[in-house]
Amino acid sequence: MTLEVVIRDVKFPNPVLAASGTFGFGWEFLAVANRLGGVVTKGLTIAPRAGNPPPRIVETASGVVNSVGLENPGVEVFKREILPRLQRVKCPVIVNLAAGKEEEFCELTETLEQTPVAGLELNLSCPNVKEGGVVFGQDALQVEKITRAVRKRTGKLLIVKLTANFVDPADTAKAAEAAGADAVSLINTLFALVLDQEGKPLLGGRTGGLSGPAIKPFALFCVERVARAVKIPVIGMGGIKTGQDAFEFICAGAHLIQVGTANLVKPDGALEVVKELRRMARTRGWQSWDDIRGKAGEGRFS
Amino acid sequence: MINWSMGQVVEVARVGAEIYSVWISERKISRKVKPGQFIGVKVPERDDLLLRRPFSVADVKGGKMRIVFRVVGAGTAKLAHSKKGDRWDIIGPLGKPAPLVQNKSVVVCGGGVGAAPLFYLTRVLKEKNRVVAVLGARRAAELVMVSEFRQLGVKVYLTTEDGSKGIRGLVTEALEPVIKVMEKPVVYACGPEGMLKALCPLSRKAKVWAFFEERMGCGTGVCYGCALPKKDGGYLRLCQDGPVVSLDEVVL
Repeated sequence: MTLEVVIRDVKFPNPVLAASGTFGFGWEFLAVANRLGGVVTKGLTIAPRAGNPPPRIVETASGVVNSVGLENPGVEVFKREILPRLQRVKCPVIVNLAAGKEEEFCELTETLEQTPVAGLELNLSCPNVKEGGVVFGQDALQVEKITRAVRKRTGKLLIVKLTANFVDPADTAKAAEAAGADAVSLINTLFALVLDQEGKPLLGGRTGGLSGPAIKPFALFCVERVARAVKIPVIGMGGIKTGQDAFEFICAGAHLIQVGTANLVKPDGALEVVKELRRMARTRGWQSWDDIRGKAGEGRFS
Repeated sequence: MINWSMGQVVEVARVGAEIYSVWISERKISRKVKPGQFIGVKVPERDDLLLRRPFSVADVKGGKMRIVFRVVGAGTAKLAHSKKGDRWDIIGPLGKPAPLVQNKSVVVCGGGVGAAPLFYLTRVLKEKNRVVAVLGARRAAELVMVSEFRQLGVKVYLTTEDGSKGIRGLVTEALEPVIKVMEKPVVYACGPEGMLKALCPLSRKAKVWAFFEERMGCGTGVCYGCALPKKDGGYLRLCQDGPVVSLDEVVL
C-alpha cells in the first residue's frame, strides 16, 4: 500500500514526522529528512531567543526532562539563512511557531506566508517559557482566538499543537477545530520537576517538560480521546520510538505521528519508525491506513 | 558526517577508584575521530536509560579507540561491567576537534579522569610542540594514565589534594609555577567545572583551551540541551561548538 497521507493540500509521503525541537531545523540530517513523512522545525519566535540557563536536559526513568526554553535565532535569520537550506529538504516542512502574544503569532504567520514552507504548527503548549506556550494552550478561549487570528492570515496547512497539562485536550482541540485549524497535534511534554541530591531543582529553568517512552500510555490516551472529539486529523506524539508505537497511535485515531525524543538517541530515529511501519504494512496486508486508523475504539469496554 | 556503528569491547580495565578504561574495536569512527572529539554510547540492554552517554576519546590505535570514565550512575556502572566481546551501539565522531598548535610551549592540565582526553591530544601535539603535563586528583587512586603520559616522554607533574601522591594541593596551583617559566604557553585543560573556573584568571594572560563536560541530549546539535553561556551573550552548544572551548569566551 502507499504510505502517503494527505491533509488539506499537503502530501506527506509517509505518516512519520520529526517533532519540533528534536531535529533542528530539518537540514542538519538531510539524508534522513528526505525519507521522512515530514519535518517540524525547532520552535521559531520573532526575536532571537537565548533560551534557558543550563543544565537544560536530564534523563529520567525511560524519559527525558528538558528546559531548553525555545532557543532559536529568530524569524529574520530563519528567512535569510535557514530557509534557503530547507529548499533541499524533499518532504513537507512544517514551521513550529512560538509567541507570547497573539499579535506575534499573526506577524510570524504573515512573514512566512510567501515562503515555500508547507505548513505552520502553532505551539500553544511549550512548558518552558514564561509567556504564551502552555498558558495559551490551557485556555480553550485563547486557543480559539489565536487559531482564528492566524487562520485569517494563512492559506497554509495550519496545525495547533496542544498540551495535556492540567487541561482536557478534547476541549482545546474542539476550540482549534472551531477556529479553522486543519489539524491538531499532541501531546507536548508534560510538566516535570527534577531535584538533585540536595533536593534542589536540577534544571536551570527550574522546571521542565517530560518526554520519551515514559509518557507514551498517557499520550495514547489523550490522542484517542481527542480523535473521538474532533473531525479534523489528529497528529499523535509522545514516546514513539518503534513501528509498533506508531501503529498504536494510528489505531488510536492519529493520521500522522511525530517522533521526538527518539531522534536524540539516533539522528535517524524517526527513519527507523518509517521502516518498521512499512514492514508492518506489508506483512500484515493493510490496504490503506483506514484499515487500522481509529480501530482501537472498537476494542473492549467501548 | 556522523557515523553510526556497532563497536566491540576488546578490553575493560579498572584503572582507578571507580574509574574504568575500555578499548573498543570499531573501524569507522576510530579512524576519523580527532583529539577533543567524543562519541555517544548507548547503554546496552537498558532501554530505560534512553540517552547516549558522551565520552571523549582518550586514544586511538589501529581500528580501536579507548575511553576512560568514572562511574557516576546506572549507565556508566553498566558500561563498566562490560565484558570482552560485548557490542556497543556508538555514534561519532561528535563535536569539533581541539585546535592544534605548532612550535609552542604547551601544558596539558588534567583534573582526575579529565586527564584521559588530554592523552590523545598530547600524543598528537608532542610531534610539533614542547609539551608538559600537570595532572591532579583528589587522591592517588583517582590519577589516571600517568604511566602512559610518561611513556610519551613528556615531563609529568603530579598533584593530589590529600598529598597521597606528588605535590599536595590543587592541580591549578601546581600549574602556576610551571607556566611562569614558559614563554607564551598554551594550556589545554580538562577537569571538573571548579577546576576550569579556577583557570579563568589565567585565561586572561595565556591561551587556555578548556574541555567541557555537560549533560547532553543528542550530542549532534539539534536539541540545544548542552548550553554554556558566552561572554558576549547567548549560549554555545557544547556538542557542536565544543566540547573544547577557548576559556576566555565563556562565563563560568
